Amino acid sequence: MRESWVALLTLYVPMVGVPILLFAYMISLVLSLDWASTPLLYLSMIGLLVFGISGLRDVYIAGWHGKAIVLKTAYAEKTTVPIGGPLLEKPGVKFVRFNVKRFNPGTQMLDEHVYDVETDRFTTVLDGLLRVKSTKDPTLSMRYSCRMGICGSCGMVVNGKPSLACETNVWDNAKNDELEVSPMLGHPLLKDLVTDFDDFFERHVLVNPYLFRNDLREKYHPVKEYPQSKEQLHEYLPFSYCIMCGLCLDACPVVNMNPEFIGPQALSQAYRYYADSRDEKGAERLKGVDILKGVWDCEFAGSCSEVCPKGVDPAFAIQLLKTDIIKNDLRPSSGRANVEERK
Amino acid sequence: METLDFDLIVLGSGIAGMTAAIHATNAANGGIKIAIVTKLHAMRSHSVSAEGGISGVLYPGEADDSINLHAYDTIKGSDYLADQDAVEILVKNAPKEIEFFDHIGVSWNRDDVGRIQQRAFGGMSIPRTAFAQDRTGFFMMRALYDELTQMKNVFVFHENFAYSLLIERGRFKGIFVLDLATRAIRLFRAKACIIASGGASRVYDFTTTAHSSTGDGIALAYKAGLPLKDMEFVQFHPTALIPSGILITEAARGEGGYLLNKDGKRFMEDYAKSKMELAPRDIVSRAIITEIDRKRGFKDEESGLGYIQLDLRHLGRKLIDERLPMIRDMSIKTLDVDPVKEPLPVRPAAHFTMGGIHTDIEGRVMIDEKKSAVQGLWAAGECGCVSVHGSNRLGSNSLSQCSVWGRITGLAAAAYVDSLGGAPLDKVSADTCKREELKITNLLDSDGSVNPYDVKAAMQKTMGELVYVYRTLNGLRGAKKIIGELKKKFKDIYIKDKGAVYNTNLRDALEIDNLLELADAIVSCAINRKESRGAHALVEYPKRDDTNWLKHTIVYKTHGGVGISYLPVKITKWKPEPRVY
Repeated sequence: MRESWVALLTLYVPMVGVPILLFAYMISLVLSLDWASTPLLYLSMIGLLVFGISGLRDVYIAGWHGKAIVLKTAYAEKTTVPIGGPLLEKPGVKFVRFNVKRFNPGTQMLDEHVYDVETDRFTTVLDGLLRVKSTKDPTLSMRYSCRMGICGSCGMVVNGKPSLACETNVWDNAKNDELEVSPMLGHPLLKDLVTDFDDFFERHVLVNPYLFRNDLREKYHPVKEYPQSKEQLHEYLPFSYCIMCGLCLDACPVVNMNPEFIGPQALSQAYRYYADSRDEKGAERLKGVDILKGVWDCEFAGSCSEVCPKGVDPAFAIQLLKTDIIKNDLRPSSGRANVEERK
Repeated sequence: METLDFDLIVLGSGIAGMTAAIHATNAANGGIKIAIVTKLHAMRSHSVSAEGGISGVLYPGEADDSINLHAYDTIKGSDYLADQDAVEILVKNAPKEIEFFDHIGVSWNRDDVGRIQQRAFGGMSIPRTAFAQDRTGFFMMRALYDELTQMKNVFVFHENFAYSLLIERGRFKGIFVLDLATRAIRLFRAKACIIASGGASRVYDFTTTAHSSTGDGIALAYKAGLPLKDMEFVQFHPTALIPSGILITEAARGEGGYLLNKDGKRFMEDYAKSKMELAPRDIVSRAIITEIDRKRGFKDEESGLGYIQLDLRHLGRKLIDERLPMIRDMSIKTLDVDPVKEPLPVRPAAHFTMGGIHTDIEGRVMIDEKKSAVQGLWAAGECGCVSVHGSNRLGSNSLSQCSVWGRITGLAAAAYVDSLGGAPLDKVSADTCKREELKITNLLDSDGSVNPYDVKAAMQKTMGELVYVYRTLNGLRGAKKIIGELKKKFKDIYIKDKGAVYNTNLRDALEIDNLLELADAIVSCAINRKESRGAHALVEYPKRDDTNWLKHTIVYKTHGGVGISYLPVKITKWKPEPRVY
C-alpha cells in the first residue's frame, strides 16, 4: 500500500475515531437510548477500535525508535545568595543571574552553574555568556559567530524556549532578574551548551537540497540568467531564509519521539527547491518525501514554526508538500503544476 | 598523529572557499579528493553576513554602463593603489559569477520583467550591484553549501581549526589541524591548498564582523614566513549600529537613506558634493568622525560613543520590507529601534581587511616581493591581497572578488593537481609532527598569571583608539609599543579549560595569538606609510603622495619583529588623478 494512505489511515483516522465515539455517546444521552439495543454500540466500538490502532502505532514507534531523551540531571542546590556582585554605580546597569545547565561530557550529566552577569538594556544572552567566559569562567563552551542572527550558530534553550542567543535580549527575558539557559536537548550533547549537528546535517542532505538543472554547461559557464518573475520568487522565498540553526528540530515533538522522521528543517528545504521555478526536478521531488518518515509523520504540532527565528514556517511547507502530493496522486503531473495552479 | 591525505585542501568555507571547491570538482569531473577544513560549521562562515550585494555589469550598454566604467570606479575608489590588471579580471568575470549564483539557486530580487535587479552603491557611478534583499551573502552561502552536498568527492571537516601551515623548500606540504570536538591533532597532507579563511577585523573591538573573523589564514601564512601585502589598509564601514557594531548595509544609503548630524543636516554635502551619502566608504567614515569630533554628532550616554544618524524613514515601510528586511529586523531585535519610524544611531566600525596574503594575479601565494610563488598554494577572498581593492574597497566588490578568485584558484589548483598525476605526497618527518603536536600540548598546559581574554580586550581597545579612521604618528608608535608588550604578556597566559571536548578556551588562545601577530603587522605597515591614501589617513601627512608612495607595502615576520619592503603598483589604462567626488 502507498505510504501516504497508510499514514492517512493510522494518523488521521484518530481524528475521525474520537468524534465518532463522542457522537455516539452524545446521541445516546440526548435520546436516553439503551446502548446495547441500538446500533450506537457498534458505532462506538468502531470509534474505539480506530482510536486504539492509531495509539498502538504511536506506542510502537516510540518503543522502537525513541531513545530515552530524559537526562539525568544533577541540579546544584538552588543558591539563596542574593543576585549581585560589587556595587554597581553605573546607571542603567544591573546584575542578572544566569542559571546555565552545562552538559558535562565526562559524567554525561547536566550540571547547573550560576553566574551573576553585569548587563545593560542592550545585552543579549550571547553577550552575557561571552562575558562569563572572558571574566568568570573560561571553561564555558558555546557556539557562536556572527552575533547578528544570520549564521545560525548559537541555538540554545533560553527560559524553556529554543532561541538564538544573539537575538535574545536579557532584560526582556529575565524573570526577577534570573534567566535559565540550557543546551538543545533534542540534539546529541557534546559539552556545555554545544550540541552535535552531524545528524541534523545528514537530514538536510536527504532531500537533495540543491537546484537541479540539466544544462550543466550553462551552469558552470553561464552566458545568460534564468528569468524569474516576482510571483515565482515569492513562491519559495520565505522558505529560503533557513539558517540551519536546528531550533525547529529541537522543538519538534515528533522527531523527539521518532528520530526516523526527517524533520521540519529538511522538509522545508525540500519544498524550497520544489517551489523554485528554476528547478528542473519537478514532481520527482515529491516522491522523495512522500513516505511515512517524510511528510506523513508530521502531526502538524507547529512548534517548528513557532520557534523559527527567521519566520520560515516549516509546518506550512510540509502541509504544502502534502497537498501537492495528494493532488498529484489524483491528477498526475510531471511538473510543478500544483504550485502554478494555486496562484 | 593521524594523517589524512587529499588532492586539495580548501582552508575556510566562505564564499571564496566553497566556490573554489565546486569549480575544482567540476574541472576534474569529480575525480579530485577535496577537504574543506573550517573552524566553524561550513555554512556559518562570515560570508553569511555580507548584506548589500555583489557588483557586476549585468547589462552593459544600459544606462551607459560598461565593464570599463566599473574598472574605473574600482580604481578610483582604491585611490589608485589597486593593480589595474587584476581589476580588469574582476570586472570582466563578475557578471558571469552573478549568473552562476543564479544557476545554483540564489533568490535574487527581480525587476518587473523577471531580470536580476541592481541597486546603487557607494563609489559606483551606475547602479550595478545585484542583490537578494539585504542578505545577499547569506543566500550565496546557502546555495554554495547546498550545491556541495551532492559532491561526493568533497569532504567537509566542520569545526577543525588549522593552526600551522607546512611549507618546505617553497612547496606546500600540508596543514596541522586541531579537531575542536575531540582535541585530536591531525596532519592533512595534500598536493595543493587554497587558503580562503577571511579577514581579521576582530583585531578591533568595534567591528561589523563575526566573532570568528580572526584572520587565522593570514596569520598562518605570516607565521610560516610568507609576506603579507598592504596590511595598513583596514576598511571602516561608515554605518555600524551602536553599541553592538552590527552592520547596517551601505544599500540603506544606496536605496536613498540620509546621514544626518545633530543639526539635522545632510552633512555629506560638505565632503562629497556630487556623490553625497554614496561616496566611497573611507570618505564617508572620515566625514562622520569629523562631524563627531567637531561636536556636530550625537553622544550615547550609556556607551560614551559618539554617533550620527542614518535616516531611512522617507523610504517607506514597503521598500524597507522588500529590500532591507534584515537590518530592520535586527535593529528592532537588538536596539528596539524601528528604522521605519526612527533614525538609526551609527558610527564607523572595522569591516574589511584590504590587505592580506601577498598573491599574484592568479591568486598564487608569493614567497617574496619578487616573482616566485609557493608551489601548490593559493589564497582567495578577503585573506588574499591580489590586489583589486587597493587602499579602499568599494562596497559590493568583495563578493565579486570572492567568487571570481574562488573560481580562478579552484581551476588553477585542479589543473596543478592534475599535472602532478599520481605522484605520491611528500613525507612529513616525525620530528615535524612532534614539534607541531607540542605547540598545542604546551599551550594547553599554560599555567601563567594572565587571562588571555584581557590581552585580547587590551589589544582591541588599543587598535580602536589609536589605529582607527584617523591616525597620528604618535598614536601609531604608542600602539606599536603596547602591542609589543601584549605579545610578551601573552606568553604568560593561563588556559583554565584542560578538557578534550569542544575546548573553546584553547581555540580562543590560538585565535588571540593570530590576532596579535596581525595587529603588529597592521601597525608596523601604518607607521611606515607617510601619506594619506584611501583608508589610511595620517594626520601629519594629509595628502596622497604618488611620487613616493604609489606602491604596495610588503611585510614579513622576522626573528626580531617585522621587515618591510615595497612593490610597485601595476598601472594599465588609468593614470592616477585627483580623487574628487
